[in-house]
Amino acid sequence: MKDTLNVLHKFNAHPDSRCWYVAWNPTGTLLASCGGDRTIRIWAREGDSWECRFLLPEGHQRTVRKVAWSPCGRYLASASFDATTCIWGKKGDDFECLTVLEGHENEVKCVAWAPSGSLLATCSRDKSVWVWEVDEEDEYECVSVVNAHTQDVKHVIWHPTQELLASASYDNTVRLYREEDDDWVCKATLEGHAATVWSLAFDPSGQRLASCSDDRTVKIWKESHSASEEDGAGTSSDLHWKCICTLSGFHSRAIYDVSWCQQTGALATACGDDGVRVFKEDTNSGPHQTIFSLSVHMPKAHSQDVNCVAWNPKEAGVLASCSDDGTIVIWRYQSDT
Amino acid sequence: MTSVSGCEDLFDCILMADNRFHCEAYKEGFREGTNQGLVEGKTHGTVHGAKLCAEMSFYYGFAFTWKCLLQSNTDTKSRKRLKTLESLTEFIEGFPLNDPQYEKLQECVEKVRAKFRQVCAMLNVSADFREYVSSASGMSF
Repeated sequence: MKDTLNVLHKFNAHPDSRCWYVAWNPTGTLLASCGGDRTIRIWAREGDSWECRFLLPEGHQRTVRKVAWSPCGRYLASASFDATTCIWGKKGDDFECLTVLEGHENEVKCVAWAPSGSLLATCSRDKSVWVWEVDEEDEYECVSVVNAHTQDVKHVIWHPTQELLASASYDNTVRLYREEDDDWVCKATLEGHAATVWSLAFDPSGQRLASCSDDRTVKIWKESHSASEEDGAGTSSDLHWKCICTLSGFHSRAIYDVSWCQQTGALATACGDDGVRVFKEDTNSGPHQTIFSLSVHMPKAHSQDVNCVAWNPKEAGVLASCSDDGTIVIWRYQSDT
Repeated sequence: MTSVSGCEDLFDCILMADNRFHCEAYKEGFREGTNQGLVEGKTHGTVHGAKLCAEMSFYYGFAFTWKCLLQSNTDTKSRKRLKTLESLTEFIEGFPLNDPQYEKLQECVEKVRAKFRQVCAMLNVSADFREYVSSASGMSF
């Protein structure tokens, strides 16, 4: 195995706390992080080190679970266990909280911006997924509340090109939503995982979706157009996605995050066994058979659970990971094929 | 025992007594159980039916009141809110709330609850009516 994963930088982003999530801005120059210390920090590379460029003022009362940059890169959304979602924007030399989105009954687990930038999705332990619309005056209005999951919803993600929303839950399923008659409606339920589905990632084209789970597997799903004729059940507007590949036997604990590199197509995972792994698609993988193989395994990437992995959107092979140990590591992945 | 033909045999009567009483008592118990179950089921149904109807009626009244309040406003924001209130009303009117055997009852109720929460978020009204409502009907949502 000639593929390598080397540490470029390692820094203590949330000392004495957990670092829950990291997100690159669309140009890949800034990295936002959030943690159990209720803070949100924005990091930038300065010479040979990474410096905290902004420390956002205290906006949340409890753990900040996830952060997401808007497609334009001017706004940052944060989801917190205090049941609120904050929208941050740059005013002068600092970031300030522009809006607080309220409505969830309890912990907000994730927030995601649609590619158009005009829709925002949030999900919560209250089992619901909310879709918000942003108008010209930057005002946010809830356009739909969907109660499709039967348990805690862990993650939401938008399709890279279509207005299609996906969510992952403690009820072991992944659900897909589309807008229909002014409401967002669950159009598909992806069943197959044997435990909590923690995170999701679309491939660069949006044709395939990767899900990672507490059952220690990663599954890859693909839309199947023939399914509606086969089973005859469901309405024509229902979506049919099938599991086309399962990566099992590689992880020894729960897999908390998965990231699909937009440039190289490599798939990175964050695992509860403190490891970071990168998978790449086999050259003989095709439309009839999808094969991914382990390219690199970094066993002690962090000293505790790895919570998140994120490929840099512009610089191919640059990966960020963060952990319960409070640190962020920036990696360089190199593959000889 | 099965070979004995009738009840004329005195010994047979004695020997069968245990079985006979058992059967009679079973039938008696069965009748009593049926009645009791019927009563319990009825109470259970009444309580749940009342709870659900109180909850749905609360949403209906809520939507109606807000529609009255916003009716004369012509700005875009109010129009949007009115539209959502309208769909909440339509959802409630759109399914047989009085039919407990309606197979999609739970699904419809969930849809109404979700819509109500969206309405509350739009109107900036706290969706936590638990205290207010529980004293009146004991509903939960």
